[in-house]
Amino acid sequence: MKRMIGLFLVLAVLVIIPAIDLAFAAGDEPGEYLDRRVIIWNLFFRLMAVAFTVGAVVSGTLIWLVWRFRESNPKAKPTPYEGTDW
Amino acid sequence: MSGHSNMPEWIYIAVVVALMTWVGAEAWNAERLVEHVPEGAEVIKVTAQQWFWTFEHEDGTKEIGELHVEVGKAYKFEIESKDVIHSFNIHDYVVLMDAVPGRVNTVWFAPTEVGEHAIQCREYCGLLHYNMRGTLYVEEQSS
Amino acid sequence: MVLEFQKPRPIWQIMFSTHHTDIGLLYLILSLAFLFLGGSLALAIRAELFFPNIEGTGQIIADSMTFNRIFTVHGTTLIFLFIIPFASAVGNYFVPIMVRYKDMAYPKLNAIAFWMIPPAAVLVWLGFADFTWYAQPPYSIISAPGPAADMWIFGLKILGISSVLGAINFVVTILKCKHPDMSIGQVPLLAWSFLVTSCIIIVAIPTFAAALLMLLTDRLGLSGFFNPAMGGDPIAYSHLFWFTFHPEVYVLVLPAIGMMYEIIPRFSRKPIYSYNSGVFAFVLLAIVAFSSWAHHMFATGMSFTEKTVFMVGTLAAVPASAMHVFNFIATMWNGRIKFATPMMWAVGGMALFFAAGAGGVVNSAMPLDFSTHDSYWVVGHFHLFVMGTIAFASIGFVYYMFPYVTGRMYNETAGKAHFVLSFVGTVLVFFTQHVLGLYGMPRRVFDYPPIPEWIAMNQIASVGAMIIGTSMVIFLINMIYSSAKGELANIEDPFGLGGKYYYPFEAKNPHH
Repeated sequence: MKRMIGLFLVLAVLVIIPAIDLAFAAGDEPGEYLDRRVIIWNLFFRLMAVAFTVGAVVSGTLIWLVWRFRESNPKAKPTPYEGTDW
Repeated sequence: MSGHSNMPEWIYIAVVVALMTWVGAEAWNAERLVEHVPEGAEVIKVTAQQWFWTFEHEDGTKEIGELHVEVGKAYKFEIESKDVIHSFNIHDYVVLMDAVPGRVNTVWFAPTEVGEHAIQCREYCGLLHYNMRGTLYVEEQSS
Repeated sequence: MVLEFQKPRPIWQIMFSTHHTDIGLLYLILSLAFLFLGGSLALAIRAELFFPNIEGTGQIIADSMTFNRIFTVHGTTLIFLFIIPFASAVGNYFVPIMVRYKDMAYPKLNAIAFWMIPPAAVLVWLGFADFTWYAQPPYSIISAPGPAADMWIFGLKILGISSVLGAINFVVTILKCKHPDMSIGQVPLLAWSFLVTSCIIIVAIPTFAAALLMLLTDRLGLSGFFNPAMGGDPIAYSHLFWFTFHPEVYVLVLPAIGMMYEIIPRFSRKPIYSYNSGVFAFVLLAIVAFSSWAHHMFATGMSFTEKTVFMVGTLAAVPASAMHVFNFIATMWNGRIKFATPMMWAVGGMALFFAAGAGGVVNSAMPLDFSTHDSYWVVGHFHLFVMGTIAFASIGFVYYMFPYVTGRMYNETAGKAHFVLSFVGTVLVFFTQHVLGLYGMPRRVFDYPPIPEWIAMNQIASVGAMIIGTSMVIFLINMIYSSAKGELANIEDPFGLGGKYYYPFEAKNPHH
């Protein structure tokens, strides 16, 4: 559990605080216009970076799972439920 | 059913919820920045009809199928439609807003470089929807 | 379960039967027929988009109106005449068996609900309307041609009533007709998915039914609900439509998840990791299904606050969907998984479910709507759901049901080839379409300017579609040949998984 709290602290420092910071710091300076392309594509690529990381974890898990627990894997052993009335 | 621990599932759900919160916060912030129309943006009236675009500048000049703007200025589009729903889109500048008959929708942008960009209709509007295209010309500032 | 082809009966006995397995069979045949019909329209669309039209070359379909009609009927067919009737087929076969009742609660109503579909299908197909599957006014009022549009409206009306009747039947069967020894907490998750979807249908569909009537009277000029020329508001239609059809997305996907809940534990030779979290996630999804409809309308000029509310509502659906994926993965963990065809489809569908969901999260982030809305990104995204997840789970379930329905085994090699080709094809078509959308290609276009990237990606997508088409031909041949000539299945354990199946073989042949 302690490790979890640590993890969330790290997440907070890395992600949440800069986001809040940005939200309140960014104002409108006169003369310079925001470039909507920059804001939108930045958001897009950040989301994509996260999505692909999570995707790699999920599909990696899935591929390992399929490889490890397939019936034909030499290490495969019967589950405790086989032959019972589950 | 069997007596296993649910801890991994709770941790997993917490991570998913945290991720979604982050996505929501980031999106909210970006949208807030993008929606804010700067002071002094020039108004361009965009009228959509099957199947072409009409633009009217602040000084009253009208253009059909072509739009000339200048680098470094901010423009606010006031978009309306004469018949069915269209969607005004300059993909290169990530400008998109539906043209709905009976209401005026607004979106703004500030071109940064000289160039030509495609204007297209993103909402299905009938026979020539695929060809409801125009061109955006971004030019040097004249004055 | 019945063995339809081992003990052949005259066709009218099945057609006029009210027994749940007979109606299930009718639903099954009808839905698969429309899978092939709707799919061939998709191939026509992809063939047209293979080349841009330069000076009369590269054009396959005669004119844009025909093309518009094709994609309209393609969407309508696959959603209303394949996915929904297919779910009903599975529900009809399995729900009464799972709750240990002799039949559906109202057998005649069940037959009526089925027999409303063919006339509706005839209306949709003979009309061949052109206003896209969401019939957006004012186009559908002032511009969409002739009897086609009205036929579509009547067809959808009938389909809506049929869904509601079917849903009432499922709810009553599960809640009132389950075996007295069985508590609601023992009903298998597949049946739970039908309970939850049926509740969504009953709440959601009437809104669309009302909108359709208003659309019809608008078309007749009697009213002006959605016609701006008469003071109406077309956006009101969008709200009514999406209030029905965003929850409808869950109506489509929840039975598919239920089917995976049936296949994955069976082939992993383990019970579901957590039955309770499955039930919880189903119920949660049914509730949050109603909190996100307007995320389809971010570009119609909604206020910042409205957009924020609906974005949060959309993101709220993610944890519940993720719970299902967790459940699948945890079920497979430590199992001894037999990768027969149904399991391959279920696991493939699960993998694509993640990709589809991640795309959905990106879609719902408000500012990204400016770049993805109504582009091919959206096409890729929802096709990953309907094809990659729902159709994958459904086809897997066809293979799973096959021995119980026909008493024979399908050809395993052909089934696996079907899966591999479909998976590759699906990835090629729909992942490419995401990128194509980022390059700005609008959806629902008959033709596109010859931009090299657009041409290349359209061609990759078209090749992928042809691969899927090929795999579907294998599927069709396999189904027809094996149901007549396939090896006889060991009905106690057709997939050689060992263990005891707790229900499918308990059902008796109908004696009417």
